[in-house]
Amino acid sequence: MFTSNPFADLIVFLPPLAMQVYIVLMIIAVTVGTLLDMLHKSSGKYFARNLKKSQARATTKLSGADKASLAVKTIAIDVATAGEFCNLQRRISHVLMFYGFLSYLATTIIMVFAYPTYDTPTPAIIAALWNIGAVMILIGGYWFFFFLRVNVAHDGQPVFRLVLADLFIVSLLGSVTFALIWEVVQTTGNLTATKIAFGLYILFTTLLFCAVRWSKFAHMFFKPVVAFQRRVEEASGASSLPAPATRHERS
Amino acid sequence: MPTFVYMTDCDGCGECVDICPSDIMHIDPTHRRALNIEPNFCWECYSCVKACPQNAIDVRGYAEFAPLGHSVRVLREEEKGTISWKIRFRDGREKNFVSPIRTTPW
Repeated sequence: MFTSNPFADLIVFLPPLAMQVYIVLMIIAVTVGTLLDMLHKSSGKYFARNLKKSQARATTKLSGADKASLAVKTIAIDVATAGEFCNLQRRISHVLMFYGFLSYLATTIIMVFAYPTYDTPTPAIIAALWNIGAVMILIGGYWFFFFLRVNVAHDGQPVFRLVLADLFIVSLLGSVTFALIWEVVQTTGNLTATKIAFGLYILFTTLLFCAVRWSKFAHMFFKPVVAFQRRVEEASGASSLPAPATRHERS
Repeated sequence: MPTFVYMTDCDGCGECVDICPSDIMHIDPTHRRALNIEPNFCWECYSCVKACPQNAIDVRGYAEFAPLGHSVRVLREEEKGTISWKIRFRDGREKNFVSPIRTTPW
């Protein structure tokens, strides 16, 4: 079950082209949503203004090689290992969701486009990675949702009091949870239950990708930019923070 | 001088919410980042400024003496036992102070 392509079974009630068109539409929705989000928040202008300010404050001029090295550091530390988080539990949860999502997303696209029917058998590793990715998202996501959300853990709000900031995590968890339920139900051969589970999976997935303008989805794009800008400011002496103390006061 | 949060620097860890004695540091429901909900009620103890691991909280000076362009930043280095302040005036002057942390460990 966990090593076979769940999308190939869709042929019973859905042509493979429908899922392929759906994925293309979702990619367009994310692109448009991110652009609208940038326009609404004026984040492009904000970053450009900050860049100008930090260039004016800089005491050292960075070469192209320095900037490339900082970009590599940003990718290796801030993006790949979620180095921004000071709380270890949040960092682990985020890393689980990040790599789980990448694996889940990539294998979904591969299975839908490269192996849409049983005529082209899917390598077991691809389907296994889809399931592993989904499980990683669920572990990291439910851990975050129930125990680590800052408004729940620190601000004392009830777990099920949802706010706009929860749109991303709720739609992500809904999408992945129903994807796995659909996969399991599909193997039982009950067509009605399969259609319901698949419908809920599509509903939450559409919400996840079409609500980019209102959800936190776009943080995947602008967080690395902020981290890079911060590293450039530190390296060029443009940081407004005090220089680290040179003396140890506490032995 | 009440505090405010740079939303792009904040990672929403909640340290400031826990430490604020005035209970005015809360979590924004749209972006899940910290914010000072009532600057008028800020005790100006700067506990949140010092506790923030991301250095995302800053001090907004009163308009009479620190109009636009100023900044008051703080860097707490627990392992060194120091706390450093950098005051930047509107005309570009800067003053830097380093003091020992005088609180007892939690």
